[in-house]
Amino acid sequence: MSELSSQVVLSLLVWGTLVGLDLVSVPQAMISRPLVAGTVAGWLVGDVEAGLRIGVVFELFALDVLPVGAVRYPDYGPATVAAVALGAGSPWELSLGLSTALGLVLAVLGGWSLQTVRRWNARAIQRRAAALAAGESSAIRRLQYGALLRDAARGMILTLLGLILASGIKERVLLDRQTAVALTLVAIGSALAAAVNGAVRSSGRKARLKWLLAGAGAGVLLAVLA
Amino acid sequence: MTGRLRALLRLFAVQGTWNYERMLGVGMGYAAEPLLEDLKAVDPVRHGEAVVRSAEFFNCNPNLAGLALGATARAEYEALPGAQIVRLRTALCSPLGAMGDELFWAGLVPALIGAALVGVVLGAGWWAIAGFLLLYNGIRLWTGYWSLRTGMESGMRVGAAIGSSWLPRAIERVGPAAAFAIGAAIPVVSAWYLKPFGFSAGVGAAGVLMAGIALTRWFSPFLTTVRFALAAMILLLVLRRVGV
Repeated sequence: MSELSSQVVLSLLVWGTLVGLDLVSVPQAMISRPLVAGTVAGWLVGDVEAGLRIGVVFELFALDVLPVGAVRYPDYGPATVAAVALGAGSPWELSLGLSTALGLVLAVLGGWSLQTVRRWNARAIQRRAAALAAGESSAIRRLQYGALLRDAARGMILTLLGLILASGIKERVLLDRQTAVALTLVAIGSALAAAVNGAVRSSGRKARLKWLLAGAGAGVLLAVLA
Repeated sequence: MTGRLRALLRLFAVQGTWNYERMLGVGMGYAAEPLLEDLKAVDPVRHGEAVVRSAEFFNCNPNLAGLALGATARAEYEALPGAQIVRLRTALCSPLGAMGDELFWAGLVPALIGAALVGVVLGAGWWAIAGFLLLYNGIRLWTGYWSLRTGMESGMRVGAAIGSSWLPRAIERVGPAAAFAIGAAIPVVSAWYLKPFGFSAGVGAAGVLMAGIALTRWFSPFLTTVRFALAAMILLLVLRRVGV
């Protein structure tokens, strides 16, 4: 991270902001999926392998999230971008654990920041309640643009914080090889637990569970043959 | 640019002002603005009332919001009583939420993500990711267009139009596809990560996996998988620190 040029840091900041916006506000094109966010971040820092490995871990965590109704969930997008910045340039077997730890903390923080923005949106609406009750279209437009700006700022601040933390960790935290590998294995095991939990919960006990088991069988076969 | 196209584009930001009071309400009002423009010249009083109604509480899956938007906009032009339009809007919240969530969040997204994960592991790399983005956004764009058009064509009869459309059948089919794709992805991704570490490391990761599943189920909803992962990492670092 410390060796990243200012141009790369800036591009990560822009990418993290877009990814943060995409989660809920606009355009929900799925660039906020960790698989996409991580791989593009990896490409930006010149280490696509790290982007893929870290992106897939967070994608497994994200499979435990069903974003329905008013449910609260972590924001894995900017978190993945910062985690890739930390892990880039090192062998993934050693860096994945620490990157995942940073990303998970940021994802939780991202989820909390999303709730804060939603509360601010509600307050902004209350302030313009009279204009809304009078049917002023301009009030609706102003509310919408203000909320989009708030969410963009949220994504940018989250990414910036992540990049600063990544830089600090890379400079100061030095793990021995055994600890780094163990941390990576804990990250992989936990991510797989999240994915299994999400898959089983979504499948329920009906026909869908049979399809899940059939898929698992096909997956084992593929894993053996690949 | 026509009003309908502008409304379709604005629907991509329908969750922009998401909040716990009106939920998608203001976003719907923002998307409704181009559709209601012509009403201003015909009946300015009615237009003002329609704008107020368009930004009131509303919630559903954002990808199917066009059905409610189109149906209520048509009802406004047909000069139906305001209370009837509000009832239609309220009645559409739950079914559009449930159907959209089943179709997109529990169906299409995991199905395509599962396929993309398998593709990445098998070496497709960028192609797998590009395929995911193109397919998802293609389907979503078409669904958004269809939703708005169907809503505007059917008005108050939008419920019947949804019932006889492709939506219920698609939901039935996409669920099993999602389950199969995620089921296939998990072992493939596991092998991708664990192969370089050897057997004993694989057993260790499997132990974490089993502990994660068991503990997050026993201590749900307090212990999420994210909290479990962070706790396990902290425990590991403490144990290493004390020399275990």
